[in-house]
Amino acid sequence: MQKHRTRVVCSALLVVALAALGLAGSAQAKLTGLYTQFSQCPYLNLEVKKCLYSVTTSGEVVLGSKKVPIEKPVTLQGGTGAPGEDTFAKFFDASNGITLSKAPQNVPGGLLGIVPDASSPFLVKALIKFFLENSLTGVNSTLELAKSPSGIRVSELNLAGEEGTALEMPVKVHLENPFLGKNCFVGSSTSPITWKLTTGETNPPAPNTKIKGAPGEAELFEGGRILTLKNNKLVDNAWSAPKAAGCGGILSFLVDPIINSQLGTTTAGHNTAILIGTVNNGNAAAIRKNNTENP
Amino acid sequence: MRNTKTAIGATLAALAVLCAMFATSASAAPAWKFESKSLEGTETILGAALDSSLTIPGLTTKCANFLYKVNIKNEAGTGKGEVTELPLYNCTTNTDACTVDKIGAEKLPWASKLTTVSTTPYIIIEGVKVAILYGGEECVLGETLVTVTGSAGGSIDNSKETATFNSSTLSASGTELKALSSKIEWNGLFPTEAFQWHREQALSVS
Repeated sequence: MQKHRTRVVCSALLVVALAALGLAGSAQAKLTGLYTQFSQCPYLNLEVKKCLYSVTTSGEVVLGSKKVPIEKPVTLQGGTGAPGEDTFAKFFDASNGITLSKAPQNVPGGLLGIVPDASSPFLVKALIKFFLENSLTGVNSTLELAKSPSGIRVSELNLAGEEGTALEMPVKVHLENPFLGKNCFVGSSTSPITWKLTTGETNPPAPNTKIKGAPGEAELFEGGRILTLKNNKLVDNAWSAPKAAGCGGILSFLVDPIINSQLGTTTAGHNTAILIGTVNNGNAAAIRKNNTENP
Repeated sequence: MRNTKTAIGATLAALAVLCAMFATSASAAPAWKFESKSLEGTETILGAALDSSLTIPGLTTKCANFLYKVNIKNEAGTGKGEVTELPLYNCTTNTDACTVDKIGAEKLPWASKLTTVSTTPYIIIEGVKVAILYGGEECVLGETLVTVTGSAGGSIDNSKETATFNSSTLSASGTELKALSSKIEWNGLFPTEAFQWHREQALSVS
């Protein structure tokens, strides 16, 4: 009797396991051709109307007096819902959770560029000496989402219309170097940097001056189901950034002020974001169809 | 002495060439003519495109019924005009995903003028604005209003009494149409037939 019950339970578990595998299989993307770029779009969610796959390949982020060129591609991907009356659409997180890829960009000048040896307190100076002697001078700056992806807002109308905010994104900048520790950030979930990127012209406070973005060159693929904007240029130079915090681990009370002094003024009018790349937009219904046609 | 004569001759020849060039540029503003006589007052050109399509790379939109009404006149010897009506019906795309839910000309009238490009008469239409609302469940532009804006130059064929618009005529006339902020192609062949006072009279531009 006991043996029989065990067998029944095992069989039931096996059925559940197989069913789970089956479900996982059906949720798995089996997209083909140009649709494959949308494999991490949550297109099975019927609220998702469009899928976004945007790759920034060049541009720059100027934070106060520090300019970081974008040399490694940064990917923004996910889904967008139906646009509201304000033309903005709700954003849906990428299926793999990597809505904004973490691409560390090299900070010119390295560690000494943000924590200068000469003006630092003795303890910091000694530590920096150690890092310099061990060739640990490179500093990376990684852009990360400061809030959940639902904080991203997209307006296709403004993107094509070269007017107003096309992409609003709450971000934080992660400064990375062994000396700076793991928690050296400019911006946080409670105090994010909010980029209001436009393909039109900005209107920043001084000393920044107006700069212009561009929607790029449009081309439709897959019989009007995918829209690609090449050489898309999104800009914002009216954003403000909070002070750097959490840098140098337990010495952050000493290191944060040094970094902030090196960054200089980071209030609105002193910072710039220029993102140049390719934006791919796919119709979610067409992607769903492609998925079901290729089991 | 002979050298002086040669120099004078060369100078005169150069002047003659310059005069000819200026004469060409002075005639660069042609006028509307009926039966070879300059139009006095106004006239209306009314017609339907023999062929017309608009292409955003990857998506071509065609209208089976592309009608137009253009009021024309000569001002100080130069042909002018304005497109006052442009009803577009039965429009489709070359894809199975995208339909044309709505299409219409906006901000009419559009000013037009005649000019000459390399001895060929051209009509330039300025301030073009056409709004297209695409539909289709699988169309990426579905429920997105696409606006075509810019100016368009078309060559006039006096013998056939038609105006032709294509990428070559737009480029030659330094005009451009844009949609989704990208340069687009417009191909069209339009009869230039008078409908009011000069009906059935040969219309030419020179």
